[in-house]
Amino acid sequence: MNARLFALVFSLEARKLMSYRVDFWLNSVIGFAAHFSIVYFLWQAIFSESGSELIRGWSFEMMLLYYVLVILAGKLVRGAEHLGDIATDIYEGGLTRYIIYPTSYLAFKYAQHLGNVVPALVQLVLFATLYVLLLPMPEEAAITPASIAMAAVSIGLGNLLFYSFMAPLQSVAYWADNVWSLNVMFRFSSNLLGGAMLPLTLFPEWGQRVLDFLPFKHLYYVPVSVLIGTMGPAEWLRSLGVGLVWLLVIHLVFRAVWNRGKFVYTGVGI
Amino acid sequence: MRYLRLYLYFLRFSFSRAMEFRLDFWFRIVMDVVFYVVQIIFFSVLYNHTSVLGGWEFPQVLVFICGFFLIDALHMTVFANNMWWLPILVNKGDLDYYLVRPVSSLFFLSLRDFAANSFVNILVASGLMAWALLSYPDALGGLRIGTYLLLLLNGTILYYVMHIAFLIPVFWLHSNRGLGDIFFAMTRYSERPDRIFKGYVRRTLLTILPFSLISSLPARVLFEGLKPELLLHALGVTALLFVGMTLFWKRALRAYASASS
Repeated sequence: MNARLFALVFSLEARKLMSYRVDFWLNSVIGFAAHFSIVYFLWQAIFSESGSELIRGWSFEMMLLYYVLVILAGKLVRGAEHLGDIATDIYEGGLTRYIIYPTSYLAFKYAQHLGNVVPALVQLVLFATLYVLLLPMPEEAAITPASIAMAAVSIGLGNLLFYSFMAPLQSVAYWADNVWSLNVMFRFSSNLLGGAMLPLTLFPEWGQRVLDFLPFKHLYYVPVSVLIGTMGPAEWLRSLGVGLVWLLVIHLVFRAVWNRGKFVYTGVGI
Repeated sequence: MRYLRLYLYFLRFSFSRAMEFRLDFWFRIVMDVVFYVVQIIFFSVLYNHTSVLGGWEFPQVLVFICGFFLIDALHMTVFANNMWWLPILVNKGDLDYYLVRPVSSLFFLSLRDFAANSFVNILVASGLMAWALLSYPDALGGLRIGTYLLLLLNGTILYYVMHIAFLIPVFWLHSNRGLGDIFFAMTRYSERPDRIFKGYVRRTLLTILPFSLISSLPARVLFEGLKPELLLHALGVTALLFVGMTLFWKRALRAYASASS
């Protein structure tokens, strides 16, 4: 797929999402406010009822900053989130029209997935600015140009990993008629194991050791930890290497599933 | 009686449709089991760092969260598919088909599609609830448990009423989901003990947007004993919202302009 077409698909998808402006802003603002307030009250209760000022090295302010960034950076990682139209294209037969297009179907879908990142970027800038203006920045947080650059790389990797996870799940549509449940299942488990529900350092030691070997932490925990400075450059580099290996493995699995699926595709829909 | 007979037809069609999509049937069961496991692990990890949350110890939170699982399973089975289709029907102008039927349009559109593939999850959630209640260290008594189950049923109705109330604006907004995504963002309030919330947020969650009445208040009645004012509050808010939602629905139907409205 050439760069011009990729950019065009990317831009179309972004504009499509922003076209329902009232819907977009209502969802963004209320969704963020609801998520943030739940986290705020939950951790306020935990800190006050446990009587601790630090929980596994996290202060209340640092915890809030972690969640704000997880909510916002998580949207950049998830992009189109469900990529539901891959499955729809398969079981409704819509994939056929892409077969005759002189472009790669999967690259086309990835461009759409990336297009969904634009509204998330708008939200990140807006809400992060509001956070900085309204709430005090914790002393322990070390957000520097270098940490922002490292986090940007990790978010990019997370976005690719997320797409690579979702695409094979969507490809199950070659054999099943509805794969929506698989997407939701992945979202539930990756939220917990990837650090969107909790910083992973709150898990017991043995749990953290297990999570270190899994790919999920590269979706949320690594990008945010490196951004706020709780993960240093050496650890980040090692983690980046592990993430890239996982990306390769998942991509190979996806290719295998996709290629097998193509043989059972009939083009008439289920 | 006519409505009951109609509902039995809905059930029959839904079960035969679910049996056609067997893989999805199993995916749905596993999906909800994953949701239950994730929530239980989440609270277990939290309780490694505190002994009390919102005034509740872990066995109490376990009962509370299992109550939420049961409500969620009931909602997914009875109402969720119908709620999913509502904005689509409105935007495509396909609501006409339901409005000309000689039955209440709200009844038809809310209950027509019974998710038989989620039905097993009611059994799984009930099992978890029984396990949480049986492993609870103190005696709770039959009356309290009975009232608790009644309030969970009330919570299910409240969940449905709020869900549809968030979807009805689609008649004016013409967006693809109405305010459905906002509703799902806000349901997280009902997955947390109500006493962690303070001030006006807590008051809102117990009255105007009563997400805390869905499963948290029933759990409080179970642990703290029967208080008539709490029962009256839960049932009264549900009744008021139900009436409000019905009026809102009627108002929305007047704004419906059929095809591609």
